[in-house]
Amino acid sequence: MEYILSILIFFPAFAAIVGFLVKQDSIKAYGICVTAMQFVLSLVLWMNFDVNEGQMQFTHIIPIISSYGINYHVGVDGISLFLVIMTTFMTMISLIGLSEKRDLKNLVITVLFLEMTMVGVFLALDAIIFYAFWELSLVPMLYIIGAWGGKLRIYASIKFFLYTFLGSLIMLVGMLYLAYVYYITTGTYSFSLQDWNMMILPFDMQFWLFIAFFCGFAVKVPMFPFHTWLPYAHGQAPTIGSVILAAVLLKMGTYGFVRFSLPLFPDASVYFTIPMAILALIAIVYTAMVAYAQEDMKQVIAYSSVSHMGVIILGIFALNVEGIGGAIFLMISHGIVSGALFMLVGVVYDRTHTKMIKDYGGIARVMPKYATIFAIMLMASIGLPLTIGFVGEFLSLLGFFKVSATLTLIAGLTIIFGAVYMLTMYKKVFFGPIKNEKNHELKDLNKRELSALIPLVALVVILGVYPKPILKPVETSVNHVVEVMKIKALEDKTRVEILNRNSIEGAR
Amino acid sequence: MNSIPPIAIEFASLNFPTIVPMIIAIVGALVILIIDLINKNLDKSLYVMIAVLFLIIDLGVIIGFTSDVRGFFDLLLVDGIAILSQGIIVLASLFFVLTAMGKLRFQEYRYPEYFALYLFMVAGFQFMVSSDSLILILVGLETASMALYTIIAMHNRTNALEAAIKYFTMGALSTAFFAFGSLIFYAVTGTVELGKVSEVLVASNYENYPLVLLGVIFMLGALGFKLSLVPYHTWVADVYEGSTAALAGFLSIVPKMAAFVVALRFFEIFIASGDPFVEVILYVTVVLTITIPNIIALLQNDISRMLAYSSISNAGFAMTAILIGSTQATQALFLYWLMFLITNLGAFSMLWINRSKDSSSFSSDHAMEKYSGLIKKEPFSALMMGLFLFSLAGIPPFALFWGKLYLIGSAVNGGYLILALIMVLNSAIAGYYYLKPIVYMFLKDANEEVEVKFLANSTPVIKAVIGFCAVLVVFSILLIEPLLEIISYYVQISGY
Repeated sequence: MEYILSILIFFPAFAAIVGFLVKQDSIKAYGICVTAMQFVLSLVLWMNFDVNEGQMQFTHIIPIISSYGINYHVGVDGISLFLVIMTTFMTMISLIGLSEKRDLKNLVITVLFLEMTMVGVFLALDAIIFYAFWELSLVPMLYIIGAWGGKLRIYASIKFFLYTFLGSLIMLVGMLYLAYVYYITTGTYSFSLQDWNMMILPFDMQFWLFIAFFCGFAVKVPMFPFHTWLPYAHGQAPTIGSVILAAVLLKMGTYGFVRFSLPLFPDASVYFTIPMAILALIAIVYTAMVAYAQEDMKQVIAYSSVSHMGVIILGIFALNVEGIGGAIFLMISHGIVSGALFMLVGVVYDRTHTKMIKDYGGIARVMPKYATIFAIMLMASIGLPLTIGFVGEFLSLLGFFKVSATLTLIAGLTIIFGAVYMLTMYKKVFFGPIKNEKNHELKDLNKRELSALIPLVALVVILGVYPKPILKPVETSVNHVVEVMKIKALEDKTRVEILNRNSIEGAR
Repeated sequence: MNSIPPIAIEFASLNFPTIVPMIIAIVGALVILIIDLINKNLDKSLYVMIAVLFLIIDLGVIIGFTSDVRGFFDLLLVDGIAILSQGIIVLASLFFVLTAMGKLRFQEYRYPEYFALYLFMVAGFQFMVSSDSLILILVGLETASMALYTIIAMHNRTNALEAAIKYFTMGALSTAFFAFGSLIFYAVTGTVELGKVSEVLVASNYENYPLVLLGVIFMLGALGFKLSLVPYHTWVADVYEGSTAALAGFLSIVPKMAAFVVALRFFEIFIASGDPFVEVILYVTVVLTITIPNIIALLQNDISRMLAYSSISNAGFAMTAILIGSTQATQALFLYWLMFLITNLGAFSMLWINRSKDSSSFSSDHAMEKYSGLIKKEPFSALMMGLFLFSLAGIPPFALFWGKLYLIGSAVNGGYLILALIMVLNSAIAGYYYLKPIVYMFLKDANEEVEVKFLANSTPVIKAVIGFCAVLVVFSILLIEPLLEIISYYVQISGY
């Protein structure tokens, strides 16, 4: 069990290399096998995980560049555990639902490499190793969007790559500076997150470092106004690319805020609460409006992703257990729901080669199963109670309510806006007369598609009704993060603020 | 009238072992020439292998040195920096000479003189790095440069001649600058040994400061040419394009390594004493050198020209280490250059094996369109090429990332935060043009109308070189620790 995390990280990469030897026509089965094994492995990790413990577990360290304090250091806590499980699960589902025919072998191998980098990001505890996986994930994604995407695929993939590349380079300078600060205080270099958590930094240093890390994370999330790459990337990516992008890659950014920004810069995090909340609010309201105006189904979901990521940011910067825990739950649920929605759009796109809303209408009559599943996912997306989407959204907003009731109220609009644009789209696509003659012959979901989608539907309902198995371990670990923030807070003001936000009657 | 005192030279001060590495290279060159005298009909592979053998022995002798020694009548200084850079120079030369083993016949490789000149050149660079006497540096520089001009001109295409002439005229100018700079320092301090120059300058509290500054400017011009610093970089792209890809790769590594060492020894005098003017001049030069070629590289449509401009920018990156001037920065310089060596060796060798003799269908030998859709035709070579380009772009965990990390880290630690940010921004710009060939290879479909022969020039030897580089680039993470240990040992014994 000791090395299970390393196995989880490197198994897909190893399998990808072996995959070169598999024949083209069986590569999909191979990919599904590998990702299923990987998923089972992540479940084994969960079984052996001590849910009452908020600290890092299964950690191990291998020195790489000891003179500069860079180690291969991995570990898992409640926060990363479920993100890893979500990653392995969604990768498996996206491969099951894969309908691509062209260059299948390269695609599957690329996805397996991508899985390594994604799992690596969530498990790394050394900043440089984190950065390495973080950057490396751009490469397979660039290839997926650029080689299997739509007409503007090359523009979209380069834009995606360069935006995130620049953002994370600035974050790298921040990391190097932190290691230097550690060197000044202790006499040795270290990039270990656990070592960094011992450091108490003066406020102006926290201020600048927060901004440096913000550059890396905000682009990835993406937060307003750094979100412009996302609609292109989603619009052009093939279905599997959109699914993985929405489900996992965007979560790296919000995960980064929880893992790095909050515990490392508690004073700056409190200081930046309102600016971050305002950016998040703009994202929530503005992109919801933009989503309403879209004519392409995929773009609607892409913009709704930006909007939901805003809610996650809001939850994180509530800086209390409800908020952060809710945000993490929302990260998982949004992963499942948006992944499912992109897959659903992919289903009709495969049949008709159009994603335009105006080309559809009355689909519910010819594709009843499809319409049902779409409706369930849509309800989850707009946060209907008893679906998975409700829990996280509610907790995030509840958390932020303790910070500012007004802002939360505005953010609450997201549920209304979300309902508006999603239901409008649903109405136009599924109800009314069948506009396009060809659509009379549309086939309903086949076995492959059902086997990919039904597990998602099951999860949406089960976790919506009973979210405790995930919420509890998450909250235990979040508690730990909040504790670290309290201990490390430099100014009394910050400590009082965090205490206030975490107290039951802290609402102002 | 004073009589000139007789010069008394003790033979003991020759300290013969110090020049053994250079002697080996020179003997190798002579052996090749003698073999050619006896039998004219031998294959180039013999000469390549003789060169390799002598370079291996050369490398072995260099590794044997462990501490500071002076020799050759006090002109030579074999300190840690010299050992390290000689090692890198010989290692790089060793690999680049193997690229002569291409399948296609090229004019220059038919002359045994090519390989003799190659070894002379290596010896010249070795002299250049292992001396702190401006005179011997100039001698080494000229030995190497003369050989290099000839080697470039041996390529039988018109733009090769143009490249050689361009390189020669610019080189002659830089020699003049160097001579004039040395002259000024001799006039001011009465010595040409950099160590003593420093002592005298400090002792006299920088008397004649304007004159010293003039000397610095002349020296910067001279070194700037070799290092292709802005604004002395204009020759680079044409020369790289005029020479074969293999030689262009060599040019991007070895002469610059030699010049870095000279620059390190020279600027150390001023950086250590915190001279504000020199620091500003160097700062501006470095920033311009990183930025301007990066922007020009964005516009290139030929991979070898693009790599030429990118290597200027990379030289600027490495130059920052000299500006920062800390021990960590000096270590970073060598680490960076070693990582750049394996990456660039791989990248240029990839271009080299894809070279074909008919290039009429495209605007140039390595036009990007030529490589479109490579992933479909030659997946393995596309992967290799992509690997080297990603390494150049600084994507972890590939080789050059660690060099960049350590270099930017030393900038941050040295208090040069703005410089670190400039480096980072430029890395992002560079990301764009390194992506361009990747886009062509992986994302675009091949133009079916034009038939392109890939791997036309490939032989097992060159493939082995590329494979070797690829393995090092991918697993570089395991190399960093031992390399840093070696580098820090040598840097520390020479006190930089």
